[in-house]
Amino acid sequence: MAMIKVEGLYHSYLRNGRYAIKDVNFEIAKGEIFGFLGPSGAGKSTTQGILTGLLQLQKGNVTVAGYNIKNISRKMFNKIGMSFEQSNVYSKMTAKENLYFYSRLFDVKTRDPIELINLVGLSGKENIKTGEFSKGMKHRLTFARSMINNPSMWFLDEPTTGLDPAIAADIKDIIKERNRKGVTVFLTTHNMFIADELCDRVGFIVDGEIKLIDSPKNLKLQYGKKLVDVECIQNGKLKKETFSTIKQEDKDALRKIIAEKEIRTMHTKEATLEEIFIKVTGRGLV
Amino acid sequence: MKLLSSFKKELILASRSFYFYIEVIFSLVILAILLFAVPEEISTTSTQYVYLNLPKEVKEIYTDTMLESVPGIEPEEVELEADGKTYDAQLIATDEEEFYIVDSEEAVRNLAYSEQVIGAVIELDDSNQLYCRYYLQGYESTRLKNLLSILFNENMGVLEERIENQEVVSLTTDYEPLNDRENTLPPLVAFSSCLMGMFIMASYIFLDKNEGVIKAYAVTASPIWQYLMSKIFVVLVTSVVSGLIIVMPIMRFRINYGLFLLLLLSTGFFASSLGLLIASFYNNLAKAFGAIYFLIILLMVPAIAYFIPGWDPFWIKIIPTYPLMQGFKEIILPKGDIAYPLIASAGFLAGGIIVFAITNIRFKKTLSV
Repeated sequence: MAMIKVEGLYHSYLRNGRYAIKDVNFEIAKGEIFGFLGPSGAGKSTTQGILTGLLQLQKGNVTVAGYNIKNISRKMFNKIGMSFEQSNVYSKMTAKENLYFYSRLFDVKTRDPIELINLVGLSGKENIKTGEFSKGMKHRLTFARSMINNPSMWFLDEPTTGLDPAIAADIKDIIKERNRKGVTVFLTTHNMFIADELCDRVGFIVDGEIKLIDSPKNLKLQYGKKLVDVECIQNGKLKKETFSTIKQEDKDALRKIIAEKEIRTMHTKEATLEEIFIKVTGRGLV
Repeated sequence: MKLLSSFKKELILASRSFYFYIEVIFSLVILAILLFAVPEEISTTSTQYVYLNLPKEVKEIYTDTMLESVPGIEPEEVELEADGKTYDAQLIATDEEEFYIVDSEEAVRNLAYSEQVIGAVIELDDSNQLYCRYYLQGYESTRLKNLLSILFNENMGVLEERIENQEVVSLTTDYEPLNDRENTLPPLVAFSSCLMGMFIMASYIFLDKNEGVIKAYAVTASPIWQYLMSKIFVVLVTSVVSGLIIVMPIMRFRINYGLFLLLLLSTGFFASSLGLLIASFYNNLAKAFGAIYFLIILLMVPAIAYFIPGWDPFWIKIIPTYPLMQGFKEIILPKGDIAYPLIASAGFLAGGIIVFAITNIRFKKTLSV
């Protein structure tokens, strides 16, 4: 069952035929983590804005969590959660007051604000006004708020931006844990490492058009070089060699080296998602 | 439940922002001005300095005639100061006029200049007829100058006869006017409670737009209209508080507060909906300032008609603040027309609902990513 289904989606901000996104089509299965990757201004936020009802649907068909976006129902928002790239919490309210207020805006059972505050590493900060928070702390609170209604469809816009590596790792763990419980994730990012680590499939969007959708693994297989770099000790000296993983003679030579020589390092020449993105779209991610 | 939560949240935010306190302080300042600076009856006593450049006998006849016209008033010897000099004068004071007879033309000129009032020198012409020369300030209108020349230099007998024969018929016999302090209340309540509400509402929205919290609200199961309505509730609370601060100490329990609150709430609803509508077109207060300023000036125009009853063109009456002020006036008048504020309240409520509906659509359409 598709959690999100997008067909022939177009959007023009000025309604003048200059489209920010054009002919966007994709489906996201229930329980999938889908990464939506592209440089700034590619159309990621526009697509996400339409899926979350922030932007009005102009052309195309979109269903989210079984709801048609054309006639959006407030009930849909009981099922979805949204973590914004730009933190947007009430600066004159404390962390607890912020989450407590949002917890009252849903018709479903909501999570305990304190539990969520602790989950994102803000323990002890619950009674501090968020105006006194650092950018990273606000971002974590915005992320925590997106879980307040136990969403089955979770939209995450750059969830680890501006966070230090340890906190970012915690956030990734939370995403993985929620996904294990069946939550579908729509992850918008230009960070290829987080996409590579988390996503079941990724979509590359450039200039409002989706160029490619596939799993990171398939993309690496398809676009990566089928080579292995080996460093070994030969006659007391460090020697570097590269072998094809396809040619029989290279495979035999590699087997021989592994059997006879002292191997120092051995790496397959997999392409990174970023390299694949550049190869496919001809564009960088910044 | 969601609406109540939003309302509670808005109350918390209002109590922690300075806009709420600005409106309350503004109301207290207005009250202080009304109580300590605006008198219940503004004095209309006029002051005149006159030098009688007449022969002694004529001078005595003139003074006696003047005193006969104000029976019971005795002239008082006083000293006046102007331009560093002291002048002796006779003061003939009535409820409406303070008439100083000084002993030189120099005194008239200096006193008229320093006190910025009209001075007069009364003399005899070649045919022994009284005539008057005036010392004016220079900014008097031609109409006033003409009036002054008629008043003294034309045949006073004719004027007096005509005034005495004028028949004045009062159209309403059941009318008790407000004192000057009470009369200033309707425009002050209109501007401090309602127009400030419009401005404050727009400010609240721009604060939220700046923090991006509207987007966060838009992805909850609560409809946008509840978000907007909760803000209106808070502005209404502020309007009621500031309205009562101004009105209660002056009117005490002499007015129908039910009717007053009804009009205050309906106009507050209309004004804050208008503030929301304006805010839906702009991203911040700086960009919206022109529109808000224009609207406030436009809405203040009926105050001119309020204080100049003779100037009452039709187009003024369709500006919402006109029925707003007239409605408040009818409420505080001892025998005011109850129907007027009721009809005005219904009109503001209907207008507010329409503006609110348009605003709700605009907010849904203008959310951005």
